[in-house]
Amino acid sequence: MNEQVVQERHWSTHKERGSFFLMRLTAFGVRVFGRRLLAPLLYLIVLYFFASARGARRNIWQYQSYLADWSGRESLRPTFGSVFGQFIAFADNLLDRLDVWRGRLGFEQVQLVDPSGIRPRLLRSQQGGRGEILVVTHLGNPDVCRAMAELGEQVPLNVLVHNRHVAQFNRLLGEAGDRSMRLIQVTELDTAMMLDLSQRVERGEWLAIAGDRVPLHDGRRVAVNFLGHAAAFPQGPWLLAGLLRCPVNLLCCLKVDGRYRIHLDPFLDNAHWERGRRDDAIQNWAQRYADHLAQQCLMAPQQWFNFYAYWQSGKSEARDAN
Amino acid sequence: MNALQQEITQLIIDTLNLEDVTVEDIPPDQPLFGEGLGLDSVDALELALALQKRYDIRIASDSKDARQHFTTVASLAAFVQAQRDACAN
Repeated sequence: MNEQVVQERHWSTHKERGSFFLMRLTAFGVRVFGRRLLAPLLYLIVLYFFASARGARRNIWQYQSYLADWSGRESLRPTFGSVFGQFIAFADNLLDRLDVWRGRLGFEQVQLVDPSGIRPRLLRSQQGGRGEILVVTHLGNPDVCRAMAELGEQVPLNVLVHNRHVAQFNRLLGEAGDRSMRLIQVTELDTAMMLDLSQRVERGEWLAIAGDRVPLHDGRRVAVNFLGHAAAFPQGPWLLAGLLRCPVNLLCCLKVDGRYRIHLDPFLDNAHWERGRRDDAIQNWAQRYADHLAQQCLMAPQQWFNFYAYWQSGKSEARDAN
Repeated sequence: MNALQQEITQLIIDTLNLEDVTVEDIPPDQPLFGEGLGLDSVDALELALALQKRYDIRIASDSKDARQHFTTVASLAAFVQAQRDACAN
Protein backbone atom coordinates (compact mmCIF):
# COMPACT_ATOMS: atom_id res chain seq x y z
CA MET A 1 0.00 0.00 0.00
CA ASN A 2 2.96 2.25 0.47
CA GLU A 3 3.77 2.91 -3.14
CA GLN A 4 0.50 4.67 -3.63
CA VAL A 5 1.18 7.39 -1.11
CA VAL A 6 3.54 9.36 -3.30
CA GLN A 7 1.65 8.59 -6.46
CA GLU A 8 -1.78 9.73 -5.41
CA ARG A 9 -2.78 12.99 -6.92
CA HIS A 10 -4.76 15.48 -5.00
CA TRP A 11 -8.54 15.36 -5.43
CA SER A 12 -8.81 18.84 -6.84
CA THR A 13 -6.48 18.01 -9.71
CA HIS A 14 -8.28 14.98 -11.03
CA LYS A 15 -11.35 13.80 -9.24
CA GLU A 16 -13.31 17.00 -9.43
CA ARG A 17 -12.58 17.40 -13.11
CA GLY A 18 -13.86 13.91 -13.84
CA SER A 19 -16.99 14.35 -11.84
CA PHE A 20 -17.57 17.76 -13.39
CA PHE A 21 -17.35 16.23 -16.83
CA LEU A 22 -19.73 13.49 -15.77
CA MET A 23 -22.17 16.05 -14.42
CA ARG A 24 -22.05 18.09 -17.61
CA LEU A 25 -22.69 15.01 -19.63
CA THR A 26 -25.51 14.06 -17.33
CA ALA A 27 -26.99 17.54 -17.45
CA PHE A 28 -26.93 17.44 -21.21
CA GLY A 29 -28.31 13.91 -21.33
CA VAL A 30 -31.15 14.52 -18.93
CA ARG A 31 -32.19 17.57 -20.90
CA VAL A 32 -32.19 15.68 -24.16
CA PHE A 33 -33.36 12.22 -23.15
CA GLY A 34 -34.98 12.59 -19.75
CA ARG A 35 -34.02 10.68 -16.65
CA ARG A 36 -35.62 7.37 -17.55
CA LEU A 37 -33.72 7.06 -20.79
CA LEU A 38 -30.53 8.42 -19.39
CA ALA A 39 -30.30 6.22 -16.30
CA PRO A 40 -29.13 3.07 -18.12
CA LEU A 41 -26.52 5.08 -20.00
CA LEU A 42 -25.23 6.61 -16.81
CA TYR A 43 -25.01 3.19 -15.18
CA LEU A 44 -22.91 2.08 -18.13
CA ILE A 45 -20.59 5.04 -17.69
CA VAL A 46 -20.24 4.33 -13.99
CA LEU A 47 -19.65 0.67 -14.77
CA TYR A 48 -16.84 1.74 -17.05
CA PHE A 49 -15.49 4.01 -14.31
CA PHE A 50 -15.67 1.08 -11.89
CA ALA A 51 -13.87 -1.27 -14.27
CA SER A 52 -11.16 1.14 -15.31
CA ALA A 53 -10.37 3.12 -12.17
CA ARG A 54 -8.42 0.70 -10.07
CA GLY A 55 -7.34 3.45 -7.68
CA ALA A 56 -10.92 4.51 -7.03
CA ARG A 57 -11.96 0.91 -6.33
CA ARG A 58 -9.08 0.52 -3.91
CA ASN A 59 -9.95 3.78 -2.15
CA ILE A 60 -13.57 2.79 -1.68
CA TRP A 61 -12.44 -0.62 -0.42
CA GLN A 62 -10.22 1.15 2.08
CA TYR A 63 -13.04 3.40 3.23
CA GLN A 64 -15.39 0.46 3.70
CA SER A 65 -12.89 -1.59 5.66
CA TYR A 66 -12.01 1.36 7.91
CA LEU A 67 -15.71 1.92 8.52
CA ALA A 68 -16.21 -1.76 9.36
CA ASP A 69 -13.19 -1.82 11.70
CA TRP A 70 -14.11 1.41 13.39
CA SER A 71 -17.76 0.53 13.93
CA GLY A 72 -17.16 -3.15 14.67
CA ARG A 73 -19.98 -4.03 12.27
CA GLU A 74 -19.01 -7.04 10.24
CA SER A 75 -21.88 -6.42 7.83
CA LEU A 76 -20.05 -3.35 6.57
CA ARG A 77 -16.93 -5.28 5.57
CA PRO A 78 -16.16 -4.62 1.90
CA THR A 79 -16.95 -7.14 -0.80
CA PHE A 80 -16.81 -6.84 -4.56
CA GLY A 81 -20.55 -6.20 -4.50
CA SER A 82 -20.49 -3.57 -1.79
CA VAL A 83 -17.74 -1.60 -3.54
CA PHE A 84 -19.68 -1.80 -6.79
CA GLY A 85 -22.79 -0.71 -4.89
CA GLN A 86 -21.03 2.46 -3.84
CA PHE A 87 -20.28 3.31 -7.48
CA ILE A 88 -23.93 2.72 -8.38
CA ALA A 89 -24.97 4.94 -5.49
CA PHE A 90 -22.81 7.62 -7.10
CA ALA A 91 -24.70 7.27 -10.38
CA ASP A 92 -28.00 7.63 -8.50
CA ASN A 93 -26.59 10.62 -6.72
CA LEU A 94 -25.74 12.33 -10.01
CA LEU A 95 -29.22 11.68 -11.38
CA ASP A 96 -30.75 13.05 -8.20
CA ARG A 97 -28.64 16.18 -8.44
CA LEU A 98 -30.00 16.83 -11.87
CA ASP A 99 -33.53 16.44 -10.57
CA VAL A 100 -32.69 18.88 -7.83
CA TRP A 101 -31.31 21.43 -10.24
CA ARG A 102 -34.35 21.16 -12.44
CA GLY A 103 -36.62 21.69 -9.47
CA ARG A 104 -38.05 18.18 -9.63
CA LEU A 105 -37.49 17.48 -5.98
CA GLY A 106 -40.10 19.10 -3.81
CA PHE A 107 -39.78 20.07 -0.19
CA GLU A 108 -42.45 17.54 0.75
CA GLN A 109 -40.24 14.77 -0.58
CA VAL A 110 -37.46 15.67 1.81
CA GLN A 111 -37.43 15.09 5.50
CA LEU A 112 -35.86 17.75 7.67
CA VAL A 113 -34.23 16.74 10.94
CA ASP A 114 -33.69 20.05 12.66
CA PRO A 115 -34.35 19.63 16.38
CA SER A 116 -32.84 22.96 17.39
CA GLY A 117 -34.56 25.12 14.78
CA ILE A 118 -31.62 26.12 12.60
CA ARG A 119 -33.63 26.52 9.40
CA PRO A 120 -36.09 28.99 10.97
CA ARG A 121 -33.07 30.97 12.18
CA LEU A 122 -31.66 31.03 8.66
CA LEU A 123 -34.96 32.29 7.28
CA ARG A 124 -35.27 34.89 10.02
CA SER A 125 -31.79 36.28 9.50
CA GLN A 126 -32.98 38.07 6.37
CA GLN A 127 -34.81 40.50 8.60
CA GLY A 128 -31.70 41.36 10.54
CA GLY A 129 -29.45 39.59 12.92
CA ARG A 130 -26.06 38.07 12.34
CA GLY A 131 -25.23 35.30 9.95
CA GLU A 132 -23.87 31.93 10.93
CA ILE A 133 -21.69 29.24 9.41
CA LEU A 134 -22.88 25.95 7.97
CA VAL A 135 -20.22 23.28 7.69
CA VAL A 136 -21.18 20.97 4.86
CA THR A 137 -19.99 17.48 4.01
CA HIS A 138 -19.54 15.69 0.70
CA LEU A 139 -21.12 12.64 2.27
CA GLY A 140 -24.56 12.19 0.73
CA ASN A 141 -25.98 14.88 -1.52
CA PRO A 142 -25.30 18.48 -0.47
CA ASP A 143 -27.07 19.76 -3.59
CA VAL A 144 -30.41 18.76 -2.14
CA CYS A 145 -29.92 21.26 0.65
CA ARG A 146 -29.36 23.97 -1.87
CA ALA A 147 -32.63 23.23 -3.55
CA MET A 148 -34.35 23.35 -0.18
CA ALA A 149 -32.71 26.66 0.61
CA GLU A 150 -34.28 28.17 -2.48
CA LEU A 151 -37.76 26.84 -2.03
CA GLY A 152 -40.22 29.44 -0.91
CA GLU A 153 -38.11 32.20 0.44
CA GLN A 154 -34.77 33.17 -0.95
CA VAL A 155 -32.18 32.44 1.64
CA PRO A 156 -29.10 34.65 2.01
CA LEU A 157 -26.53 31.92 1.64
CA ASN A 158 -22.98 32.09 0.28
CA VAL A 159 -21.22 28.89 -0.62
CA LEU A 160 -17.45 29.05 -0.27
CA VAL A 161 -15.56 26.78 -2.63
CA HIS A 162 -11.87 26.26 -3.21
CA ASN A 163 -11.69 24.89 -6.68
CA ARG A 164 -10.98 26.80 -9.81
CA HIS A 165 -14.03 25.56 -11.65
CA VAL A 166 -16.31 28.14 -10.06
CA ALA A 167 -17.03 29.87 -13.34
CA GLN A 168 -17.91 26.56 -14.98
CA PHE A 169 -20.12 25.52 -12.09
CA ASN A 170 -21.86 28.88 -12.06
CA ARG A 171 -22.57 28.52 -15.75
CA LEU A 172 -23.85 24.99 -15.30
CA LEU A 173 -26.04 26.05 -12.39
CA GLY A 174 -27.33 28.94 -14.47
CA GLU A 175 -28.20 26.58 -17.30
CA ALA A 176 -30.01 24.41 -14.82
CA GLY A 177 -32.00 27.36 -13.53
CA ASP A 178 -30.17 27.84 -10.26
CA ARG A 179 -29.57 31.55 -9.91
CA SER A 180 -29.89 32.47 -6.31
CA MET A 181 -26.82 30.80 -4.87
CA ARG A 182 -23.68 32.76 -4.57
CA LEU A 183 -20.52 30.74 -5.02
CA ILE A 184 -17.47 32.50 -3.69
CA GLN A 185 -14.06 31.19 -4.56
CA VAL A 186 -11.74 31.21 -1.59
CA THR A 187 -8.24 30.08 -2.34
CA GLU A 188 -6.82 31.64 0.76
CA LEU A 189 -8.14 33.58 3.68
CA ASP A 190 -6.74 37.05 3.18
CA THR A 191 -7.60 40.45 4.57
CA ALA A 192 -9.92 41.55 1.75
CA MET A 193 -11.77 38.23 1.74
CA MET A 194 -12.13 38.31 5.52
CA LEU A 195 -13.59 41.81 5.41
CA ASP A 196 -16.03 40.81 2.70
CA LEU A 197 -17.16 37.70 4.59
CA SER A 198 -17.38 39.61 7.84
CA GLN A 199 -19.63 42.22 6.24
CA ARG A 200 -21.84 39.49 4.83
CA VAL A 201 -22.23 37.92 8.26
CA GLU A 202 -23.05 41.31 9.79
CA ARG A 203 -25.74 41.73 7.13
CA GLY A 204 -27.29 38.46 8.22
CA GLU A 205 -25.96 36.31 5.39
CA TRP A 206 -24.86 32.77 6.14
CA LEU A 207 -21.72 31.06 4.91
CA ALA A 208 -21.55 27.42 3.85
CA ILE A 209 -18.15 25.77 3.69
CA ALA A 210 -17.02 22.17 3.30
CA GLY A 211 -15.50 20.62 6.37
CA ASP A 212 -14.16 17.43 4.87
CA ARG A 213 -11.91 18.38 1.97
CA VAL A 214 -8.50 19.94 2.15
CA PRO A 215 -7.70 22.55 -0.50
CA LEU A 216 -4.68 21.91 -2.68
CA HIS A 217 -2.46 24.90 -1.99
CA ASP A 218 -3.52 25.70 1.50
CA GLY A 219 -1.21 24.49 4.22
CA ARG A 220 -3.88 25.09 6.83
CA ARG A 221 -4.86 21.55 7.58
CA VAL A 222 -5.10 19.50 10.71
CA ALA A 223 -4.63 15.77 11.23
CA VAL A 224 -7.57 14.13 12.93
CA ASN A 225 -8.58 10.57 13.60
CA PHE A 226 -11.30 9.68 11.13
CA LEU A 227 -12.67 6.13 11.18
CA GLY A 228 -9.69 5.05 13.24
CA HIS A 229 -6.98 6.47 10.97
CA ALA A 230 -5.29 9.82 10.60
CA ALA A 231 -6.71 12.01 7.86
CA ALA A 232 -6.09 15.63 6.95
CA PHE A 233 -9.07 17.89 7.52
CA PRO A 234 -9.20 21.58 6.63
CA GLN A 235 -8.69 24.25 9.25
CA GLY A 236 -10.58 26.75 7.11
CA PRO A 237 -14.10 26.44 8.55
CA TRP A 238 -12.85 26.67 12.11
CA LEU A 239 -10.49 29.57 11.45
CA LEU A 240 -13.30 31.39 9.74
CA ALA A 241 -15.66 30.74 12.63
CA GLY A 242 -13.11 31.90 15.18
CA LEU A 243 -12.20 35.02 13.25
CA LEU A 244 -15.82 35.98 12.61
CA ARG A 245 -16.85 34.81 16.08
CA CYS A 246 -20.05 33.30 14.91
CA PRO A 247 -22.02 30.12 15.62
CA VAL A 248 -21.33 26.98 13.61
CA ASN A 249 -23.91 24.42 12.49
CA LEU A 250 -23.47 21.18 10.60
CA LEU A 251 -25.39 20.30 7.49
CA CYS A 252 -25.63 16.88 5.91
CA CYS A 253 -28.10 15.39 3.47
CA LEU A 254 -28.38 11.61 3.21
CA LYS A 255 -30.62 9.32 1.24
CA VAL A 256 -32.10 6.82 3.62
CA ASP A 257 -34.54 4.19 2.35
CA GLY A 258 -34.90 6.03 -0.94
CA ARG A 259 -35.76 9.33 0.66
CA TYR A 260 -33.62 12.39 1.30
CA ARG A 261 -33.16 13.50 4.83
CA ILE A 262 -31.46 16.75 5.79
CA HIS A 263 -29.72 16.84 9.13
CA LEU A 264 -29.08 20.21 10.73
CA ASP A 265 -27.10 20.07 13.95
CA PRO A 266 -25.80 22.87 16.14
CA PHE A 267 -22.07 22.56 16.69
CA LEU A 268 -20.59 25.69 18.30
CA ASP A 269 -22.63 28.43 19.94
CA ASN A 270 -19.86 30.89 19.58
CA ALA A 271 -16.51 29.96 18.11
CA HIS A 272 -13.95 31.53 20.33
CA TRP A 273 -10.42 30.56 21.19
CA GLU A 274 -8.21 31.50 24.05
CA ARG A 275 -5.15 33.20 22.76
CA GLY A 276 -2.19 30.83 22.71
CA ARG A 277 -4.54 27.86 22.56
CA ARG A 278 -5.87 28.48 19.09
CA ASP A 279 -4.27 25.38 17.58
CA ASP A 280 -5.72 23.24 20.36
CA ALA A 281 -9.17 24.71 19.81
CA ILE A 282 -9.05 24.07 16.07
CA GLN A 283 -7.74 20.55 16.56
CA ASN A 284 -10.50 19.89 19.03
CA TRP A 285 -13.28 21.23 16.77
CA ALA A 286 -11.97 19.39 13.71
CA GLN A 287 -11.77 16.14 15.67
CA ARG A 288 -15.29 16.55 17.01
CA TYR A 289 -16.44 17.21 13.48
CA ALA A 290 -14.69 14.08 12.21
CA ASP A 291 -16.41 12.05 14.94
CA HIS A 292 -19.76 13.48 13.95
CA LEU A 293 -19.09 12.71 10.30
CA ALA A 294 -18.12 9.13 11.16
CA GLN A 295 -21.49 8.65 12.85
CA GLN A 296 -23.23 9.99 9.76
CA CYS A 297 -21.28 7.57 7.57
CA LEU A 298 -22.98 4.81 9.51
CA MET A 299 -26.39 6.18 8.56
CA ALA A 300 -25.55 6.01 4.86
CA PRO A 301 -22.42 3.88 4.47
CA GLN A 302 -22.45 3.84 0.67
CA GLN A 303 -22.82 7.58 0.15
CA TRP A 304 -19.20 8.45 0.71
CA PHE A 305 -18.32 9.89 -2.69
CA ASN A 306 -14.69 10.68 -2.14
CA PHE A 307 -13.08 8.37 -4.68
CA TYR A 308 -9.59 9.72 -4.16
CA ALA A 309 -7.21 8.51 -1.46
CA TYR A 310 -8.77 10.16 1.52
CA TRP A 311 -6.25 8.99 4.06
CA GLN A 312 -3.30 9.80 1.82
CA SER A 313 -1.38 11.98 4.19
CA GLY A 314 0.56 10.66 7.15
CA LYS A 315 0.41 6.88 6.91
CA SER A 316 2.72 6.58 9.90
CA GLU A 317 0.56 8.83 12.05
CA ALA A 318 -2.34 6.61 11.16
CA ARG A 319 -0.83 3.82 13.17
CA ASP A 320 -0.15 6.08 16.11
CA ALA A 321 -3.69 7.34 16.04
CA ASN A 322 -4.92 3.85 16.55
CA MET B 1 3.35 57.73 21.51
CA ASN B 2 0.59 59.73 19.86
CA ALA B 3 -3.12 59.25 20.42
CA LEU B 4 -3.69 57.13 17.33
CA GLN B 5 -0.79 54.85 18.19
CA GLN B 6 -2.17 54.45 21.67
CA GLU B 7 -5.61 53.67 20.29
CA ILE B 8 -4.23 51.06 17.93
CA THR B 9 -2.15 49.45 20.64
CA GLN B 10 -5.26 49.15 22.77
CA LEU B 11 -7.14 47.69 19.80
CA ILE B 12 -4.42 45.06 19.37
CA ILE B 13 -4.62 44.13 23.04
CA ASP B 14 -8.43 43.93 23.02
CA THR B 15 -8.77 42.14 19.71
CA LEU B 16 -6.18 39.50 20.42
CA ASN B 17 -7.14 39.28 24.04
CA LEU B 18 -3.55 39.70 25.19
CA GLU B 19 -3.61 38.99 28.87
CA ASP B 20 -1.44 40.92 31.29
CA VAL B 21 -0.30 43.28 28.56
CA THR B 22 -0.77 47.03 28.80
CA VAL B 23 -0.33 49.77 26.22
CA GLU B 24 3.01 50.65 27.80
CA ASP B 25 4.30 47.14 27.16
CA ILE B 26 4.14 47.57 23.41
CA PRO B 27 6.45 50.36 22.22
CA PRO B 28 5.40 51.79 18.85
CA ASP B 29 8.60 50.57 17.25
CA GLN B 30 8.53 47.02 18.54
CA PRO B 31 8.03 44.44 15.79
CA LEU B 32 4.58 42.87 16.11
CA PHE B 33 5.48 39.62 14.42
CA GLY B 34 8.23 37.11 14.95
CA GLU B 35 10.56 37.91 17.81
CA GLY B 36 8.75 41.07 18.85
CA LEU B 37 5.24 40.57 20.15
CA GLY B 38 5.12 37.14 18.51
CA LEU B 39 1.98 37.51 16.46
CA ASP B 40 1.33 35.11 13.57
CA SER B 41 -0.59 35.18 10.30
CA VAL B 42 -3.97 34.38 11.84
CA ASP B 43 -3.46 37.15 14.40
CA ALA B 44 -2.73 39.44 11.46
CA LEU B 45 -6.06 38.51 9.87
CA GLU B 46 -7.91 39.09 13.10
CA LEU B 47 -6.18 42.42 13.51
CA ALA B 48 -6.81 43.47 9.92
CA LEU B 49 -10.47 42.69 10.38
CA ALA B 50 -10.68 44.79 13.54
CA LEU B 51 -8.79 47.71 11.98
CA GLN B 52 -10.94 47.68 8.87
CA LYS B 53 -14.08 47.74 10.94
CA ARG B 54 -12.94 50.38 13.38
CA TYR B 55 -11.48 52.85 10.89
CA ASP B 56 -13.66 52.04 7.92
CA ILE B 57 -10.68 51.42 5.71
CA ARG B 58 -9.79 48.67 3.29
CA ILE B 59 -6.56 46.73 3.48
CA ALA B 60 -5.60 45.25 0.14
CA SER B 61 -4.51 41.64 0.11
CA ASP B 62 -1.42 40.29 -1.52
CA SER B 63 0.47 43.52 -1.55
CA LYS B 64 3.89 43.76 -0.02
CA ASP B 65 2.85 47.17 1.27
CA ALA B 66 0.07 45.63 3.32
CA ARG B 67 2.57 43.42 5.04
CA GLN B 68 4.88 46.35 5.71
CA HIS B 69 2.07 48.33 7.29
CA PHE B 70 1.73 45.60 9.87
CA THR B 71 5.35 45.69 10.99
CA THR B 72 4.91 47.88 14.06
CA VAL B 73 2.28 49.96 15.82
CA ALA B 74 3.95 53.06 14.40
CA SER B 75 3.69 51.80 10.81
CA LEU B 76 0.07 50.76 11.37
CA ALA B 77 -0.80 54.19 12.74
CA ALA B 78 0.87 55.87 9.79
CA PHE B 79 -1.07 53.63 7.42
CA VAL B 80 -4.42 54.28 9.11
CA GLN B 81 -3.71 58.01 9.11
CA ALA B 82 -2.85 57.95 5.41
CA GLN B 83 -6.05 56.03 4.61
CA ARG B 84 -8.13 58.48 6.59
CA ASP B 85 -6.54 61.44 4.85
CA ALA B 86 -7.16 59.82 1.51
CA CYS B 87 -10.82 59.32 2.38
CA ALA B 88 -11.18 62.86 3.69
CA ASN B 89 -9.98 64.29 0.41
